[in-house]
Amino acid sequence: MQIENAKDIIVCDGVKKWFGDFQALKGVTTTIKEQEVVVVIGPSGSGKSTLIRCINRLEAHQEGSIVVDGIELTNDLRNIEKIRSEVGMVFQQFNLFPHLTVMDNITLAPMWVRKKPRDEAEETGMELLERVGIPEQANKYPGQLSGGQQQRVAIARALAMRPKIMLFDEPTSALDPEMIKEVLDVMKELALSGMTMIVVTHEMGFAREVADRVLFFDYGTIVEDGTPEHFFTNPQHDRTKLFLSQIL
Amino acid sequence: MAEKKIILPEIEELAPEPPPKGPVVWMKDNLFYSVSSTILTLLGLLIAVLFIRGMVGFILADERKWEAITTNMRLLMVQAYPQEASWRLWLALGIIFVLLGLSLAFWHAGGKAEPRKVGRAVAAAGGFVVFVVLVAPFETNARVFGLIIGGVLIVAGLGAVRLLGERAKEATVPVLLIAAILAGVAVAALWLIQVPVPDPEGGVGESQLAGIATTTSGPWTILYLVTIASYFLGLFLRRVIPERAGRLALVVLWTMAFPIIVLHLARGVEFQNVGQYLTIGVAFAAVGSLIIWFLADPARGELGRGLAGLLLVIAIASWVVSALILIRLMLLLLALFALGGPTFAGGERATRIRYVGVWVGAVVITVYMMLLATGVSLVQTSNETVFGGFFLTWILAIGGIALSFPMGVVLALGRTSTMPIFRLLSTIYIELVRGVPLITWLLVSIVVFPILFPLGVNFVAPAKVTLFIAFFSAAYLAENVRGGLQAISKGQTEAANALGMTTLQRTVFITLPQALRAVIPALVGQVIAIFKDTSLVAIVGLFDILKIGRDIIPTQTQPYNFLGSLRESLLAVAVFYWIFTFIFSRISLQLEERLGVGKR
Amino acid sequence: MAVTVATHERPPFWRNATVLKWAAQLVLVAFLAIVILTLRAQAATNIEDRGITFGTKWLDDPPLISIREGIDLQPDSGARALYAGIVNTLRVSISGILAATILGTIIGVARLSHNWIVNKIATVYIETIRNIPLLVQILFWLAVIQIFPALDEDSVGESLFLVTAKGVSIPWLFPAGGFYQWLVFLIIGAVVAGFVYFRLSRLKEERGGETYAFWWSVVAFVAIAVIGWFIHPVMAFWGPIFDGISSFFGAIPRVLVQILLAAVAVLAGTLWIRRFLESMRTPAGLAKLTDDDWFRMIFVGLMALIGAALFVFLPGISQTILNMVEAFFNFLGAKFSGESVAPLTYTTPAVELRGTGGFAQLSDQALVITPGFFALWVGVTLYTAAFIAEIVRGGILAVNKGQSEAGLAVGLTRAQLLRFVVLPQAFRIVLPPIGNQYLNLFKNTSLGIAVAFPDIVQVGQTIYNQTGQTFPVVILWMAFFLTGSLVLSSIVNYFNRRLKLVER
Repeated sequence: MQIENAKDIIVCDGVKKWFGDFQALKGVTTTIKEQEVVVVIGPSGSGKSTLIRCINRLEAHQEGSIVVDGIELTNDLRNIEKIRSEVGMVFQQFNLFPHLTVMDNITLAPMWVRKKPRDEAEETGMELLERVGIPEQANKYPGQLSGGQQQRVAIARALAMRPKIMLFDEPTSALDPEMIKEVLDVMKELALSGMTMIVVTHEMGFAREVADRVLFFDYGTIVEDGTPEHFFTNPQHDRTKLFLSQIL
Repeated sequence: MAEKKIILPEIEELAPEPPPKGPVVWMKDNLFYSVSSTILTLLGLLIAVLFIRGMVGFILADERKWEAITTNMRLLMVQAYPQEASWRLWLALGIIFVLLGLSLAFWHAGGKAEPRKVGRAVAAAGGFVVFVVLVAPFETNARVFGLIIGGVLIVAGLGAVRLLGERAKEATVPVLLIAAILAGVAVAALWLIQVPVPDPEGGVGESQLAGIATTTSGPWTILYLVTIASYFLGLFLRRVIPERAGRLALVVLWTMAFPIIVLHLARGVEFQNVGQYLTIGVAFAAVGSLIIWFLADPARGELGRGLAGLLLVIAIASWVVSALILIRLMLLLLALFALGGPTFAGGERATRIRYVGVWVGAVVITVYMMLLATGVSLVQTSNETVFGGFFLTWILAIGGIALSFPMGVVLALGRTSTMPIFRLLSTIYIELVRGVPLITWLLVSIVVFPILFPLGVNFVAPAKVTLFIAFFSAAYLAENVRGGLQAISKGQTEAANALGMTTLQRTVFITLPQALRAVIPALVGQVIAIFKDTSLVAIVGLFDILKIGRDIIPTQTQPYNFLGSLRESLLAVAVFYWIFTFIFSRISLQLEERLGVGKR
Repeated sequence: MAVTVATHERPPFWRNATVLKWAAQLVLVAFLAIVILTLRAQAATNIEDRGITFGTKWLDDPPLISIREGIDLQPDSGARALYAGIVNTLRVSISGILAATILGTIIGVARLSHNWIVNKIATVYIETIRNIPLLVQILFWLAVIQIFPALDEDSVGESLFLVTAKGVSIPWLFPAGGFYQWLVFLIIGAVVAGFVYFRLSRLKEERGGETYAFWWSVVAFVAIAVIGWFIHPVMAFWGPIFDGISSFFGAIPRVLVQILLAAVAVLAGTLWIRRFLESMRTPAGLAKLTDDDWFRMIFVGLMALIGAALFVFLPGISQTILNMVEAFFNFLGAKFSGESVAPLTYTTPAVELRGTGGFAQLSDQALVITPGFFALWVGVTLYTAAFIAEIVRGGILAVNKGQSEAGLAVGLTRAQLLRFVVLPQAFRIVLPPIGNQYLNLFKNTSLGIAVAFPDIVQVGQTIYNQTGQTFPVVILWMAFFLTGSLVLSSIVNYFNRRLKLVER
């Protein structure tokens, strides 16, 4: 596949992170290439969300290094700003801004962070809303939308910054079952268009169908790292087998 | 002093329901449903009758000198403000009412009420009138007149409900219409009602009835019509210009209105040092524009931030060395604009030009304000200041709130900040100010505050007091805003961070708007508290409405003898305060319902 | 796999987020320091120009003021005058808090009454009182008392109640010569009654059946009090003992007391902070301290240090305390050596002629409520009651509706339901906001200045008008009100915590 030759876009080396006494990440080392779609799976509290929150520095890791698109994540203000505007993130609870309309939600960051004029930002916003399939909701407030629609707006909002990488933190966990598919469809389309994506999810179907690689997390370390076929059909570790037997 | 509003979970009230099956059943259900209830009802009725009889008896008693109030109405309202300059105040009121009318239109104020409820309220008012004239010691003529009015109201209210039938349950009556009618009735009353005034021919304590002066009722009528006209103008404008732009313009106008009215219009200012100030202003506008244009370019990077930081240091240093206040302010403003440049302006030409435009606007406003502050008043009064009476009360309240608002927001941000020193300093300020009563702060403002400044610098008493009311109110406001800030979920901050916003952008666009919206009712509560608290300035010697009502009117002997009218004037003062605080508290309730605060 | 960046590159300090954060904070501190120092320097020159030096001498000097009411009408030192003002503030605050709580609760319940007219009266009360500034109300009550009958020479004489323009006077029991001897019997009675109550309650638990523990303890107390009333002179032997203690304190050197008190202040502060930290300790280590916790600890620590410094550098304080203790036991000794008169005297109000001109005044022999006290007390009570009523109403409404239905279902009457089910639960909800109202009432008593009621603010103002000691007086005001607020909120917090524990 072409991914083999692509350049590394995220390099994690021995990343460690503590919350007080609790060690959430115990030395995570992995490399993600451009256009790769990586699905992260694992029991809750295994550190998978913490890892992707470290990748755009919503949390600061304490040991090891994370390099995103050639920039190392340190306390350097310039690096933090740069990386955040190049890494999009979609949250479990959507986190749309309730006091702004859908369009304002999408255009706010491009206008004030990327300094785009309003017209241009709104044009892009409309294109993105069409891409996620809800152009007619542009002037509504988030509170008036269903969960699935809100999550699609959240994806559009993240895409409006033209990010190189998209992070998804359990994007479907807070949704009613009938709305999960509409969000997953948007994500699939995004993956096919060549976006680099890291997706923390419990949707095994999505992992099998879309992922280039699956990472299995447990107790703050990567237990299993491989292609979906390898992961679902021939796991190496006992913990992976146990986990799969419990959910499948 | 300032009391905190508590918001408790909404649960259906146990209060009595309106009569569903006729008055007799209703009375049985709500007044005589048990022995103890019957006793309570009779007791309550006794209290009500005694209170109303006492009150009316007090008001109508022969020895009451109500003419002390009517004669001194001017004094109560504006104290020594000269008659020939009163057009200034009417013009100021005109500005406020025009803005009010426009704002009502632009914010879609007022909903619809059910005719059923309106009719019932009218009938209840009629019933109250009938009850009062029956139990209170009125003369026969007045009693008959009252009965007729009450009867008309009852018939009109109940009749309207009956006529409309089922349709009365739909909400069709605009609330604003009701308000306009009530205000219209009040204006009409200004022309029709006669009030007691002292009889120049008669002896001591003699009074006669006379109409209210046309110098008062005329302007009020015009203001009433102007308000209605500007409301319709607002309705029209709403269709012509975008609503967002209109609202923004109104907010700016409201913000500008207070200093312009108080410092410029009401004082009638004669500018000093115009040439010097204008030179400084033009220089800063020109040089500052270049600096900001240069620094706002993202290509400057850290160098730009460093230079802006340097500007800030220079600005702070200018407060230690001797310099014109205007220059100090300008330097500070320039440093802030430079620091905010990369955040709010940025690469595109258009946004940078807009940002520089805002800078020039800020310079113009600052120069104008400084000219106002240093100017000499044209309105000559016998007093130290031109402000007094109820007018002063309003200036203190609005000025205090307006100044305390930015301070309170900054303190709240400080108290919820992740930076420990900011947090500690804010906490110390808030707890220190809230732990000590307002009156001690006012005494401090009068006796200690002036010691801190060089001999040449002296503030007029209202300015000192306004400043300390603002300091005081800021601590309470900060606690309210903090409540709103803490109610915002962590996810909002994270989402903003993930989009690459800076702390400043996140605060301005995401956290503050949500926090302030959540605490609007509490903020109105704070406005009410401050409005009432302004009465304390009477203790430190300012001539507000309370001081005039307590210390001046009851001691007047010339040209009329008003000795012994203390209770009358205090009651009148209380009524003035009550009307406005009551209206505020209704608005607060409405906002609470409209914003759904306290509901899940 | 080509990583282009060398790992662990340290960012330059001007881009380091942590450095920038601390720099911003330090800049603010520096800015504040500059502002404060500039203002201080200016203030120093200004007060020098006026020929005033701020200090503490005025605390010892006799002030040229007389206080209109309170424990000491002609104080012999500035400190004593302020102390009299503090006592007056506390008198109004405590009596006001009690009255406002009772009235507020009644009105709050009435506000929810099914009875239409009771409901409406409560509503009118709240809407009227809440929307008029407290100061206007206080002045109004002062004006109201002026319409009561004026006093003149004809009104000299006694009567049961006196309501006059110069105040209200009511009959009262005052301690007399034998009071302290009798007090010993009352204390003994209370101890015996407690013992009786405890034993009988134990008996009831062990054997069952009713033992009327409460009533027996009351009987025991009353019996001892009555016996003591007649034989109280036997307690006269305490007199010489107290005299001895008094002379013992008189012999203690001042330095010893200074060292002891300073040590106690530091120790108390340290102990408080240690206990506080201990209470924050969880099995997982020290819990995260909130800003309030830090604020509290720093405040206590500072107060302890300031206290210690005061004791060390102002020997007058220790001397005063020593003198006071000596005087106290001396006083007790004198009281116990009195001859056998009745412990209490019953007094009725009277009007007498006083002063050089012979003006008719209320006599001090009965309890006199002065116009200032009356206006302030009625004002703050009615005002605070309106707010408490709204809180009580909200609290009752917040009690789960199911609770009321369950209560009615087991056959409680509405009154019983309110008494046993709703109010206890509502109490928990309303305690914090009511505590806030108590704080407001406490601070609002400072409005006494407008009706010439000699509270701490009014006395302080009079003192600085005479001596020019504005700064020191203001600092004392702040210390007093902050301490008062702290004590009140500690009490409220204590009950709040206890109530929460009951829940578990």
